[in-house]
Amino acid sequence: MKHSALPTALVVVSLVGLVSISPWRVAAEAQVHPPKLTYERVKLPNGLTVLLHQDRSTPIAHVQLWYHVGSRDERAGRTGFAHLFEHMMFKGSKNVEPEQHTSIVSSVGGQANAYTTEDATVYWQTVPSQYLPMVLWMEADRMATLRIDDRTFRNEREVVKEERRMRIENQPYGRLNEILFDQAFTVHPYKHSVIGSMKDLESGTIDDVRDFYRTYYVPSNCTMVIAGDFDPEQVKGLITQYLARVPAAEKAVPRDIPKEPIPVKEKRVTVEEPWPLPAVVVAHHITYDGHPDSYPLHIVSKVLSDGQSSRIYRRLVYDTGLALTAFGGGNIIQDPNLFFAVAIVNPGQSPAAAEKALLAELDKLKSEPITERELQRAKNQFARDYILGRESLQDKATHLAHAEVLHSDITTADGEFDIFQKISLADVQRVANTYFTPERRVVLHVMPKGSVQ
Amino acid sequence: MALGARVLMVYGTLGLTTALLVASAFGTGVTAQSRPWPTERPPRALEARPVKFPPYQIRKLPNGLQVVLVSHHEQPSVSVRMIVRAGAAQDPKGKMGLAMLTATLLDQGAAARTAEQIADSIDFVGGILGTGAGTDLTYINTVVLKDSLPLALQLMADVVRRPTFAPQEIDRQRQQALSGLKVSAEDPGAVANRVMDRLIYGFHPYGLPGGGTAESLASITRPDIVEFHRQYYSPNNALIAVVGDVSADEAMAGLTTAFGEWSAGAVPVFVPIEPPQPTKRVIVIDRPDAVQTEIRFGQLGIARRHADYLVMDQVVKILGGEGANRLQQVLRSQRGLTYGASADLNTYKTTGGIVAETDTRTDATAEALRLTIDEFYKLQRERVYEGELEGAQAYLAGHFPLTIETPDAIATQVLNQLFYELPLEELETYPERVRSVSPDDVQRVARNYLRPDRLAVVLVGNADAFVKDLKGIGFGDYERIPIDQVDLLAADLKKTKR
Repeated sequence: MKHSALPTALVVVSLVGLVSISPWRVAAEAQVHPPKLTYERVKLPNGLTVLLHQDRSTPIAHVQLWYHVGSRDERAGRTGFAHLFEHMMFKGSKNVEPEQHTSIVSSVGGQANAYTTEDATVYWQTVPSQYLPMVLWMEADRMATLRIDDRTFRNEREVVKEERRMRIENQPYGRLNEILFDQAFTVHPYKHSVIGSMKDLESGTIDDVRDFYRTYYVPSNCTMVIAGDFDPEQVKGLITQYLARVPAAEKAVPRDIPKEPIPVKEKRVTVEEPWPLPAVVVAHHITYDGHPDSYPLHIVSKVLSDGQSSRIYRRLVYDTGLALTAFGGGNIIQDPNLFFAVAIVNPGQSPAAAEKALLAELDKLKSEPITERELQRAKNQFARDYILGRESLQDKATHLAHAEVLHSDITTADGEFDIFQKISLADVQRVANTYFTPERRVVLHVMPKGSVQ
Repeated sequence: MALGARVLMVYGTLGLTTALLVASAFGTGVTAQSRPWPTERPPRALEARPVKFPPYQIRKLPNGLQVVLVSHHEQPSVSVRMIVRAGAAQDPKGKMGLAMLTATLLDQGAAARTAEQIADSIDFVGGILGTGAGTDLTYINTVVLKDSLPLALQLMADVVRRPTFAPQEIDRQRQQALSGLKVSAEDPGAVANRVMDRLIYGFHPYGLPGGGTAESLASITRPDIVEFHRQYYSPNNALIAVVGDVSADEAMAGLTTAFGEWSAGAVPVFVPIEPPQPTKRVIVIDRPDAVQTEIRFGQLGIARRHADYLVMDQVVKILGGEGANRLQQVLRSQRGLTYGASADLNTYKTTGGIVAETDTRTDATAEALRLTIDEFYKLQRERVYEGELEGAQAYLAGHFPLTIETPDAIATQVLNQLFYELPLEELETYPERVRSVSPDDVQRVARNYLRPDRLAVVLVGNADAFVKDLKGIGFGDYERIPIDQVDLLAADLKKTKR
């Protein structure tokens, strides 16, 4: 579609990246119950975990591999390396020519791609199901025998530098996350962005690529989900034939990741960027994905930002017109990260007023319980997210792998339903009081160039 | 998508979805580890299961509302999607943004409910209600859990048939749209796209900004909005799909209650001016702090219903689409100049365009420009490579089962056929039709339609750093405009000096 309604508002939101549909499920009061996500879990002798989810309704199959390595595992001077390495996985292996992984998949009508997050690197493909053997064979080939060629590496590094320019540097608000995390963290690798710095991208060497591959791209650090139209016995035969022959790791995957100390003092920062409207962020250090407090924090996100009846939208966008767009949400991931409330401040409105309004909404969560109706609404919204987030095979595979890799507990793919059922008004108020404290707070103002005296 | 870890940022090798069928230029590297590993060919495919387009029903209410029904009972949700056959193309002269503003206001108060009450009703049941305008259409979408379908239909009927258009809501949405324009005016990709639309379509409605301008948004009055709604929002000018966990009879009963008494109206006939013929024109939009240049290439194409659509689609796919993509091969894989390069065939109701796009670091601007133009020439003059067309067709035909995975994807295809008034049988025969296109067809269409000598070019970037390189590649004749001086409604695209 050529034009969309309110294009820029949507662009800003997606750039800042917080339109979240969370995977959790609903309260007992909801009448509608989605079907259970079925699976079979297989562990190979070389350490590879395989999750099978059969669904024969359409003759297609989806294969998704999670390597448990992300920007969280990067060391100083090599930021962005996990993602740069992701690109190298498309550069050929013993039996697959460079660039051919994707073109072979596409030549049968399938699609293949990959993405890197703070915590994991994920490769996926969806194909007409008769080509499942080929996909498993190709994934095994690049897990065991990746080609690591200096010229290819140098070319791909230029591509990634262009990716950084495109996504981060050349877009209004593109660097907002990067600025925030750099200010909020001191030692944990969450301090740097997934894409990494230009300087570090430039510093990586071909030896780093080899080392990274040997260290992290081993079966015991990988979870593979196969979802869709297959015969379970046949697919287990294929796994034995192709994946089981990948050699086991020679050493354990290092996890000496520095811990971020809990901050003791509020931090306030004002910077200038050449962006059209001021941005205000009020962030708080929170807990990790899977911690008991993480579930009420998801409820808080809903209450603040899901829908036009949510508190931040209502107050900053609808009632006062303070913001072009405003939202709040937790970046709840493997290690403790941030909950942030963001406003892009409208012309003629003051960033100070926007900050005050965001803080007032967070304070209100501390001083009084949300309403019963808000809690029920949030639970119903979780039910919707749960259902809509499990429509495609890719959705389902992602939920299974997320539970297995980041929770180390496959049962959470469905099991969090019960946890959400039990969340009370008091739980929500308690986590607000635990985390939305001045000590844990980082306040960031990004002003248009030349506007700070 | 969904998970905590993915909320903030997702990086992917996005461009790689457009696969490369031309053999890569790289030699073989050394393998990382010397382990015993067989040298072997990929395994053979299993036996294919037959694929058919899944069942759906088409019905019509007596007032002319066309209905698509797709029952699918895996997940207990239902989506209801309405399309009104009027969008930005129907904006009256000087009132750009009217279709968009009208659509945005639908759920900001309707029948007995205020904006807040509508939001509260849909949010409480965990539903989603969204409205907006495209080029040729307006959409109103809801998604709810199955037990809230009656509420969804009632809300939809209210917002479509009985919007309030309260003055304070109009002002609020107008202010938001104006702020949005301020941001997008500094977004290089958005600016490049808008300027390219103007170059391709001229003052045909497709060339004008559907999001409006500061002046046009300021000029829109409540009577304009009420009149736009009265003229175009009629059952005989709309389509609706009910998709998901509901039976056809149940859905029809709900639709009859919600829309049965909506009376048909006389819809104005749309007669746009002709778009201009392609002219070589190079616009440099200066954005001094840019680190990358956003590049667009464009020319007039064809409407969706044109007889050459299927062939043209494959021509453009070979240039820069999924399953082929010469531009990605040259600019990214061989030269490392960009993260992504692609070409799109945009086909609308009355006409269409071919647009190629990429972005590259400032000092590579001229090289990326030259390489892309060369690919247009090559495709226009030379026959496609051996196997290249088969590759593109294998992707398109093989992809068919992936396009019918979810009920919404099925409904989208049916709605498209109805919207463009194309035969429904085409849905069944897509793979065969794709394969019926020959290299001769491709050559004929490429030769007849592609105009590499008359491409419009837009470059948004740090002009001082690259304009000196343009002359050497035959693009010395360009118009330079500071990014804050762009006026899409001026013939020379520049704001008048005051």
